[in-house]
Amino acid sequence: MRKLMFVFSVFMIASMLLSSCGTPANPQPIAAATDTLAAPADTAAPAAAATEAPTAVPSPTIQPPTLTGGEGCDPAATQVTWFVGLGSGTHPEDIVLEKAWVDKYNKSQKDACVILNVVPNTGSNSYDALRAMIAGGNAPDIVGPVGKAGRASFQGGWADVKPLADKAGYDLSKYDPQLLDFTKDEGVLVGIPFALFPSFIYYNKKLFDEAQLPYPPHKVGELYIGKPWDLANFQDLAMKLTVDKTGNDATNPAFDPKNVTQFGFFEQWTDARGIAAFFAGGIPYDAATNSAVIPDSYSAAWKWYYDGVWKYHFMPTADYQNSDQFNKGNLFASGNVAMSWVHTWYTGSFDMSKMNWDIAIMPSVNGKITAKLHGDTFAIMKESKHQDVAFKVLSAMVIDPDLPIIYGGMPAVIADRPAFFAKLDAKAAPNKIDWSVAQEMLKYPDLPNHEAWMPNLAKANSLLGAFRTMMDQTPDVNMDDAIAKLKGDLDAAFKTAP
Amino acid sequence: MSAVTRTNLLSAPSRPRITATTRRQWTTGFLFLSPWIFGFFAFQLLPILFTIFLSFTDYKATSEFKLGNFNFVGLENYKHLLIDPLALPSMGVTLKFALIGIPLGLIIPLILAVLVNNRRLMASSFFRTLFYLPTVIPIVAGTIIFNGVMNAQSGWLNLVLKALGITDPPRWFTDPTWAGFALNLLAIWAVGNAMIILLAGLQGVPTELYEAATMDGAGPVTRFIYITLPMISPVVFYNLTIGVILAFQYFVPALLIGSANGDPQKSLLFFPMVFYREAFVFSRMGYASVLAIVIFVVTMIATGLLFYFGQRLVYYAGGDIS
Repeated sequence: MRKLMFVFSVFMIASMLLSSCGTPANPQPIAAATDTLAAPADTAAPAAAATEAPTAVPSPTIQPPTLTGGEGCDPAATQVTWFVGLGSGTHPEDIVLEKAWVDKYNKSQKDACVILNVVPNTGSNSYDALRAMIAGGNAPDIVGPVGKAGRASFQGGWADVKPLADKAGYDLSKYDPQLLDFTKDEGVLVGIPFALFPSFIYYNKKLFDEAQLPYPPHKVGELYIGKPWDLANFQDLAMKLTVDKTGNDATNPAFDPKNVTQFGFFEQWTDARGIAAFFAGGIPYDAATNSAVIPDSYSAAWKWYYDGVWKYHFMPTADYQNSDQFNKGNLFASGNVAMSWVHTWYTGSFDMSKMNWDIAIMPSVNGKITAKLHGDTFAIMKESKHQDVAFKVLSAMVIDPDLPIIYGGMPAVIADRPAFFAKLDAKAAPNKIDWSVAQEMLKYPDLPNHEAWMPNLAKANSLLGAFRTMMDQTPDVNMDDAIAKLKGDLDAAFKTAP
Repeated sequence: MSAVTRTNLLSAPSRPRITATTRRQWTTGFLFLSPWIFGFFAFQLLPILFTIFLSFTDYKATSEFKLGNFNFVGLENYKHLLIDPLALPSMGVTLKFALIGIPLGLIIPLILAVLVNNRRLMASSFFRTLFYLPTVIPIVAGTIIFNGVMNAQSGWLNLVLKALGITDPPRWFTDPTWAGFALNLLAIWAVGNAMIILLAGLQGVPTELYEAATMDGAGPVTRFIYITLPMISPVVFYNLTIGVILAFQYFVPALLIGSANGDPQKSLLFFPMVFYREAFVFSRMGYASVLAIVIFVVTMIATGLLFYFGQRLVYYAGGDIS
């Protein structure tokens, strides 16, 4: 017995020493080891990922909420609470700018006293905080910036701003009707168009240089290595940029998909509808029959995506996505992904000055380019007790050129865009980013939008999020069966909409 | 017999009068208890009553919690429970977790407690601290760490398994076959609390019992089965009860690993997560309240059964086997 105890003691001490001195948990892939620019240390939460990321992993360190005290307000002014937390705008540097805007606004007039309340979203705590405020009878007046996905979590909780705008004499006709439609939930105008977030291909120039491949096109109609910039050409490029630990790329028969060190492409922070938008706009809902209808483009895009992950291996599985070597979900920022399809808001989620990068146009699929679009707004809560005053504040927010810059959104007002890009250029230096790509991609939005309203949206989004995760996690899936099951589940969700 | 009873009744002392001192003591006692009583009513009883109330309404979390925002729907929410496609499977996930996790949560801390209680173990205080240490780490932080440790590509667990020659180690958190078991393993990491309680129980066993048994020729295994286990059975029973209650409430690690969808493929969709989804993702507080009540009732029944059947096996030092 004494001997056994001695052996046990020695074993425990040895195991502790081994775990502290043994192989590091995060082995550097060969490609990354030579890439001095490839691993920016930006681990900040993604700016708009909270509304999109299928699996938000909370950080153990929770940034405390911010609440201003109405400094500089006129004593007779009506208090208007502005809640930030359902999308971007919660980074410490954003909060400084938001506070500055609030101070500036409060001192500029006497009707409203804006109280800023920022609750950084870590997991779902900002959503829970907003629910608690509503239930407690302290609903904020203005919430934003918030996109469609964030609003869906409070479906039915938003005020119709059309009558408020009419009452205030605010001219909505100056906005593109399509843009106004984009800001409607369940047919109700819940905000005024404010900032646009077109999507495009972010690419890591260093990885292209290493592979001795030319950069992807920046202009619509440009060829890539003498061929049209289409799906086949794009996939071929993505496979050439996918490398295993022995240096083979994914076009090589000896390529080892279990030891990939660099991926060619990733569709970052989006759900199944976002993935489908790579092929074309669409909506899996038929209003006429109130039933689920999966567009052909959706099915084709999902199958292409699934094959890209499990058959051709140029996109990462869930295990790779969440691994240390791919920065636990913020893949492009890891420096080990050559191309990533994301929106302009992603500029706030990696160190733009440290990586050698640029942006490229979307490839065409079946002769058509689609660049999915996000649009944020500020919305007024139905439970707000001061909707008229809140609208006054909201109408000042949406025309202020300072705010879109905070959130990485292209201003809806075209004249404000040069200043927006100049600010981004300053952040990205020494890189010189071709922002004309972003403006160009704005011309190819996904219609219907991938975040378009559907009945029972929260439940439908949950199903679509799970579907994407299933594609990322599960090998050997019969996609026809999986899509048919999703259709059935969506159908049930639509038909049981509250 | 009746005469004796009558005599006893007649001679029974009259009920003692409550003196001013006793009354003052009671008042002081209640004053000291009042913070707890207030807390119990405000933060436990009242929410429980509101939950029962909400279960008969269609209240949604997107409206203020006030009269006028509740529509009474009778037993509709309870009827929906019967057709909810996720309710029963998620209870299955919870039960499966409990069936593996509860025995592991008893046996492993018991083994550790016996080991660190051994006089011959070098640096026993160090090991006790070491095994208890994970308990003080916040569950969110611990889960995130384990998410990395058990990552199929870069986690050191699989790196070790590969080094040992297992070419295709489990995809712990992305394969539905392994995900539930992986959470069981994660739970083992934090058995320090149970170990400390069992250790206290072990240290309360009179040494003369072991000495007498040793003199009678009993070996270590016999002593453990016939002395140690009966003597610490109240502590084991306590740990078992707590384990059952916690198993039915298991939630946070599953949410962090599998998101509100219980990925992969609902294999981590525990029953409390269905409640969480309904309440905080879909804002359906009425139906969510029904699910909360179900968790409460099922846990109560399980605990009741445990007390009814399990406590017969518990040995109390007073000599009763109740």
